[in-house]
Amino acid sequence: MRKTISRKLPFLGLTTLILALLAGGCLPKPPGERSDITITLYGFSVMKEPLEKAIFPSFAAKWKQQHGQVLMFQSSFAGSETVTNQILRGAPADVAILSIERDVQRLQKDGFVTADWHLLPARGIVNKTPFVIIVRQGNPKDIKDFSDLAKPGIRLIHPDPISSGGAQWSILAIYGSELKKSEKESGEADAGRALQTLRAIWKNVISTPGSAREARTTFELGNGDALVTYELEGLLMKQANEPIEIVTPQATIFSEHPAVVIDRNVTAAERPVIDAFMQYLWSDEAQDAFVKFHFYSATNEAFNQANTAFGHIEMPFTIDYFGGWDKAYPEVIEKIFRDQVQRK
Amino acid sequence: MSTVAPAMRHVRGFDVARPLSIGVLVFLMLPLVFLPLASIFIFGTSNGLDKFWAALTAPEAIFALKLSMATSFWATVFNVIFGLFAAYVLSRYNFWGRNALIVTISLPTAIPTAVAGFALLLLWGPYGTLGRLLTPHGFQIMFTAGAIILANIFVTFPLAFGVIKPVFDTMSRSLEEASATIGATRWQTFWHVTLPSLRGAIVSGALLTFARAVGEFGSTILVSGNLAGRTQTAPLYIFAKFNEGQIEAANAIAIVLALFSFLIFSVLFFARDWLDVD
Repeated sequence: MRKTISRKLPFLGLTTLILALLAGGCLPKPPGERSDITITLYGFSVMKEPLEKAIFPSFAAKWKQQHGQVLMFQSSFAGSETVTNQILRGAPADVAILSIERDVQRLQKDGFVTADWHLLPARGIVNKTPFVIIVRQGNPKDIKDFSDLAKPGIRLIHPDPISSGGAQWSILAIYGSELKKSEKESGEADAGRALQTLRAIWKNVISTPGSAREARTTFELGNGDALVTYELEGLLMKQANEPIEIVTPQATIFSEHPAVVIDRNVTAAERPVIDAFMQYLWSDEAQDAFVKFHFYSATNEAFNQANTAFGHIEMPFTIDYFGGWDKAYPEVIEKIFRDQVQRK
Repeated sequence: MSTVAPAMRHVRGFDVARPLSIGVLVFLMLPLVFLPLASIFIFGTSNGLDKFWAALTAPEAIFALKLSMATSFWATVFNVIFGLFAAYVLSRYNFWGRNALIVTISLPTAIPTAVAGFALLLLWGPYGTLGRLLTPHGFQIMFTAGAIILANIFVTFPLAFGVIKPVFDTMSRSLEEASATIGATRWQTFWHVTLPSLRGAIVSGALLTFARAVGEFGSTILVSGNLAGRTQTAPLYIFAKFNEGQIEAANAIAIVLALFSFLIFSVLFFARDWLDVD
C-alpha cells in the first residue's frame, strides 16, 4: 500500500505542475481598464512619483472630460543614459523625460527627436532641482560640504555616470562647486584644486548603482556614510521618516530636466494627445504638482517660494557656468572625470 | 584479523566522520544558501502578512508573474522539442561538422545573458540587421512578449538537449532494431520504443528549462522594454521594485519565485525515480 502511494505522489505532482504550466501558457492581459489611446513614457529614475501619482491621472481625467477617450499611460523608469539607450535600440517611447540635455542630443543625432524641442515652454526644461549630500542622522562624519567627502575614511554612494544622468550632474556639482568657491576666495577659478577634490572624493566611492533611485535604495539599506543626489530625493526620504539629514553645499548645481517627444515613434493619430500632454507638463497644475514632489518649477517662481522644505544655497549655478552641455560633457565628464579621475 | 578491524571501523561501527561531515556541509551552506534565502522570507513578511499579501496581489505583480510563466512555457515547449530533435540527429548520425554543432548548442551556457539580449537586439531590433528589413512591414518582435520568449529560448537552449542527448547515446539500439524487424515504421519505432525510454530525460529537461527561464533577467531587461503591466516579467518587477526602494514588494515576488523553484526541483527529484523505474 505504502508503495503505491509513494509511486502515485510524484505522478500527481507532475500532472498538477503540467496542468499549471498549460494554464500559464496563455499570455496575460495588461491590468487596468480598456483604453482608447495610450501614451508610453520613458523617464529617468526619480521622475516616477510626480508622474504616476499626480500628472498621469490628472491629465487622463482632463482628456476624458474633453474628448471622451480613455487615456492610459505606460511608463518605464531607469537611469537617464539607460533610458536613452533603450529608446535608441527601439523601445516604443512616445515621450521621454531625461535628466540631461546630452541624452536629448543623442536622440536628435540618430533622428529620434526631429522637432526643435527648445521651442517647448521654458526651452524644453520641465523642472529642476539642486544637488545635495545625504548623510546619516546626526551627521556622525561631520560632512558640511562636497569637499568634506574627500576626507579619508568616508564611504560614499554615488550613481554610475555611465548609466545615470544624476551621476553626471553630481560630478558637475562637485567640480563646479570647487571652482566657484576658489573663485570667491581668490578671484580666480582653481581647476587644479577642483580636480584634486574630485579625485579624492572618487577614491571614497564604494558603490556606483545604475540610477539615482537605485543609489538611494542602496543608501537606505544602510550602506555608506553619504550619498550625493537630487535634493528632492532627500526630501522624499525625510517624508518617509528615513533617519537621514540633508546637507546643502555652499555652492551647487541646479540640474535641469528636458522633456521631449520621440517624433520617430509618434503616429499622426497619436500626435494631438501627445502635443496636449506636452503642453500640460508646463501648465500651472503640472508645475505645482512637481513642486509638491519637491522638484523646482521651471516656469513659476511663486510655487518654488511656497515650498518651505527647499534648502538655502549660497552660490547656486547651472550648466551655463560650464558653457552648456555641448562644453560640459566633453570637457568635464570626459576630459576631467573619465580621463583624469576614473582612469587614475 | 586484528589488523583489519581498525581499518573497517569507519564502515561498520560508529563513525565520527559522519556527523562531522554532515555538520560541515550544513555549516558551509548556511551563509551561502540558507541565510540569503531566509532573509528574503524574513524581509518579505517583516511588515506583516497583510502587507505581504497586498504586495503579492498588486495587479502589476500578478501580471509580471503570469507573463513569466507564459513566456517560459513557450520557450520550454520549443526547447524540449528542439532538444529532442537535435539529440536524435546528433547521436544517430555521424557527419562532418557534428562536433561543431554540439559545441554551438552548448555555447549559451557560457555567454553572459546581457550579451544574449544585446545580440538579439542587434539582430531583430528595429534598427538591427534583420529587424531593419522587417520593421517597415509591421513586423516588430523586440519589446514584445515574443522578444522575451526568444531571449528565454536562447539562454536555455542547451539545457533540455544536455539532459536528453546522454540518454540517446547510451540507449541500446537492439530494441529499436527488434522493433524494425517486426515491421514497425521509423515513426512507430520512435513513438513506441525510443520515446518512452526518454520520458525521464524529457521531463527533467523541461523542468530545468522552465525553472531557468522563469528566473531569467539579464537578457530580458534588454529586449523586453521593461514596461510595467505589459512587458515586465517577475525578475524585472523585482529589480524595478528594489530600485524604487520598495523592498517588501520586491521580496514578495522573490518569495513566490523561490517557492516555485523549490516545487520544481522537488518534483524533479521525486519524479525522476518514478519515471526511470517504469
